[in-house]
Amino acid sequence: MQAESTSEDESSVPVDKIRVGRDYQAVCPELQPENQRKPELLADRALLVWSPTESIPETKLEDYIILAKDKYGYNGEQALGMLFWHKHDLERAMLDLANFTPFPDEWSVEDKVLFEQAFQFHGKSFHRIRQMLPDKTIASLVKYYYSWKKTRSRTSLMDKQARKLNTPKEEGLPSEAGSENGSNEESDHDDKGEGGACSNCGVNCTVTQVTSKGNLCNSCFQHWRRTGLLRPTSGPTGGKRGTPLGARHKRKPPRGMYINHDDLAAMASGNTGVVMLKAMDREIDSIQRQIQQNKQSISSLKRKHSDSIEDLRPSSENNSRFNARWTNEELLLAVQGVRKYGRDFKSIADVIGNKTEHHVRTFFINYRKRYNLDSILKEWEKEHGPLPEDISDIKSENDDNDNDVICISPTPSTKKDIKNGKVPQITK
Amino acid sequence: MTTQPHSRKRVCYYYDSDIGNYYYGQGHPMKPHRIRMTHNLLLNYGLYRKMEIYRPHKATAEEMTKFHSDDYIRFLRSIRPDNMSEYNKQMQRFNVGEDCPVFDGLYEFCQLSAGGSVAAAVKLNKQASEICINWGGGLHHAKKSEASGFCYVNDIVLGILELLKYHQRVLYIDIDVHHGDGVEEAFYTTDRVMTVSFHKYGEYFPGTGDLRDIGAGKGKYYAVNIPLRDGMDDEAYESIFVPIISKVMETFQPSAVVLQCGADSLTGDRLGCFNLTVKGHGKCVEFVKKYNLPFMMVGGGGYTIRNVSRAWTYETSVALGVEIANELPYNDYFEYFGPDFKLHISPSNMANQNTPEYLEKIKTRLFENLRMLPHAPGVQVQAIPEDAINEESDNEDKVDKDERLPQKDLDKRIVPENEFSDSEDEGEGDRRDNRSYKGRKRPRLDKGGENKDEDKIKDEVKAEKGDDSLLKSSPDDTKKLIGPTP
Repeated sequence: MQAESTSEDESSVPVDKIRVGRDYQAVCPELQPENQRKPELLADRALLVWSPTESIPETKLEDYIILAKDKYGYNGEQALGMLFWHKHDLERAMLDLANFTPFPDEWSVEDKVLFEQAFQFHGKSFHRIRQMLPDKTIASLVKYYYSWKKTRSRTSLMDKQARKLNTPKEEGLPSEAGSENGSNEESDHDDKGEGGACSNCGVNCTVTQVTSKGNLCNSCFQHWRRTGLLRPTSGPTGGKRGTPLGARHKRKPPRGMYINHDDLAAMASGNTGVVMLKAMDREIDSIQRQIQQNKQSISSLKRKHSDSIEDLRPSSENNSRFNARWTNEELLLAVQGVRKYGRDFKSIADVIGNKTEHHVRTFFINYRKRYNLDSILKEWEKEHGPLPEDISDIKSENDDNDNDVICISPTPSTKKDIKNGKVPQITK
Repeated sequence: MTTQPHSRKRVCYYYDSDIGNYYYGQGHPMKPHRIRMTHNLLLNYGLYRKMEIYRPHKATAEEMTKFHSDDYIRFLRSIRPDNMSEYNKQMQRFNVGEDCPVFDGLYEFCQLSAGGSVAAAVKLNKQASEICINWGGGLHHAKKSEASGFCYVNDIVLGILELLKYHQRVLYIDIDVHHGDGVEEAFYTTDRVMTVSFHKYGEYFPGTGDLRDIGAGKGKYYAVNIPLRDGMDDEAYESIFVPIISKVMETFQPSAVVLQCGADSLTGDRLGCFNLTVKGHGKCVEFVKKYNLPFMMVGGGGYTIRNVSRAWTYETSVALGVEIANELPYNDYFEYFGPDFKLHISPSNMANQNTPEYLEKIKTRLFENLRMLPHAPGVQVQAIPEDAINEESDNEDKVDKDERLPQKDLDKRIVPENEFSDSEDEGEGDRRDNRSYKGRKRPRLDKGGENKDEDKIKDEVKAEKGDDSLLKSSPDDTKKLIGPTP
């Protein structure tokens, strides 16, 4: 939370110290002694509208909500409210859904058009907007504004939307502005009939972006900037506020889409059109919901998938991670390795798996005496011929690598064995 | 975060569907709509159905005057946009008008926000819930007889006063980017409430929250202020939050906790200057939750509203101990979350001006203060859960891997503030808060300004603890210790 500095702050004493005094501090209530407390008598001061339930499986609940949404136009909250009203009795709630369909949107097409026009004149001064829509409360205007803004940005955001069959690009034509999505996309740019027209979609705007593709409205500009392509438009375009007979470019809808003239007629004739659009909206919502759900399950599957792969290879994981710690088994392996590979530390390291060549080299130096490695090497030389290089090389190298930690895992019994020199039973 | 049975809590959530309809005014960054956006995300994530949902009663004037003065509340109740002109004098007196404008339904808005926090506190007192959430609350700047910083009625103070009836000691933690001055002032002289605020300090609203402000009278050492600089990131925040809160828990031993989750400490906030991600912010919730104390979470600041609703949604899931997908579910305000439609956000590349040395220094100073607290009598030392810190960092690594986005996408998410804009005031630009609270303007990254700051702290530290051996070292060392990163 914060406030901007005001000019008042400058003149008056700035409140930058915590003040002390009766006018500033809260008076703490007495702690109630435990035996006098009656928590059960405390009023909740709130109305419980939903409580979770274990009795209904998640999937059934989901189905119920989807049914309520798609068939009866509830929102999720209302659907759960109905279920709670019926004390989590899913069947009764389901039967009751039809009886209490939520109030339809009390915003008529005219209201919406009026709102848009008022918004263009007054911006976000809802008081002024309200003068044009006196039967709406400020609250209702604010609420509508936020959802209207969203649909407006939806159209400019999602390219697909632009291809949608019935997206009218004209602003302010009553029959089309009635559609809840679509019509509003450029309305914040097109303003009081002044400014240039977008060369792509033909919408009037106050600010056009000059590009190599001509003067573009913000939506087209954003699309062009993002994709390098002109924003696809469909249907008749170029309608201008107040001059519906203005220049229109004939464009064809995208491939695979066609305009059903009966639908157009129905929409133009009023109510049926609104109903139809609403149904389509709901369908879009439901598809969108499905898309996001799919995305969620894909990513959760992905995660599960990668997690379980990790589970499947913990051993190889561990082995491949190099580790300067020597277990008894590894020591034995190393000694046997010397017997088998001589001073080929690389091969020994490969056999052990979790040691580098360097680790083995250090091992060789540190344990040379204890495991009598020299005699083992001699045995090896007997079979494979003399060693090519002098062993002293290794010693000097070791000085550089003092820091390497070599430790034996502290299992007492075997450790003793090693100390007694019994371990290296090198048998062929 | 993992879904562990023991982390499942009974969570109560307070929300009134009208709260999103209040509008502070054109160009005002505070948007109650963000609470509705959060609500809608909760609903569509399926978190709603896992909580008890309450619609709070409107707090009465009587309830609000438990803290606020009668004439201030009377004023709030009577002022309206259409009668403002009659109240000129009082508006000045109560600091209503500029930052705290008179808007339609102002009083009801305060009633709902306060009603939620009071109801949440009552619920905790009844032990009918372990965690109560009121995202409509958290208005931490409001004073006893004064509005401040977009806050009119201090729901937090009212909630804590309610908790104090049943709890000897209540801990208040504030992770808003601004100092929680209203709450601190209200409880500045009591030892029953400890206020701990992590905030940007130095030429920043509200100007209070100095390291040396530690409370007064009986309340001395019961106000803890952690002054921070620009660019706090997740790692740095955790490195100071965890030890301080651990120490506070150990020494103060509260029996209830209130956490103000102001989301303006997130990266890319319209007014904030920190660089926290939703995860880093949520970690504070996770950490406090582990103490298993009666726990109230309230909202607060947060002016890039798509991120506010992301953070509060995530934090609700943390409270519930439920894992939620990074892909946002479709919801009424889906388009606000483009272009990636993900829950988590990534930090920007801004520099963190809080060096580890600086944070360490603050920590040491605060620990010294906390040592002055008398040990709470007759209470067992509360053990911090062993896994509290390590477990988290492990998980963090794992999750991050999956969810990191290409930098390009991240930039998209952060930079074009106005593009899909929940911030409706396109063209107005960011209203950052690093201008002086006294009206002095300070250009960003002004070297001279920084040094001045530095000196100030140095002086402070010296003045307070002249015998501090650390500071007896050469001036250069001191500078190194507390100076900001270049």
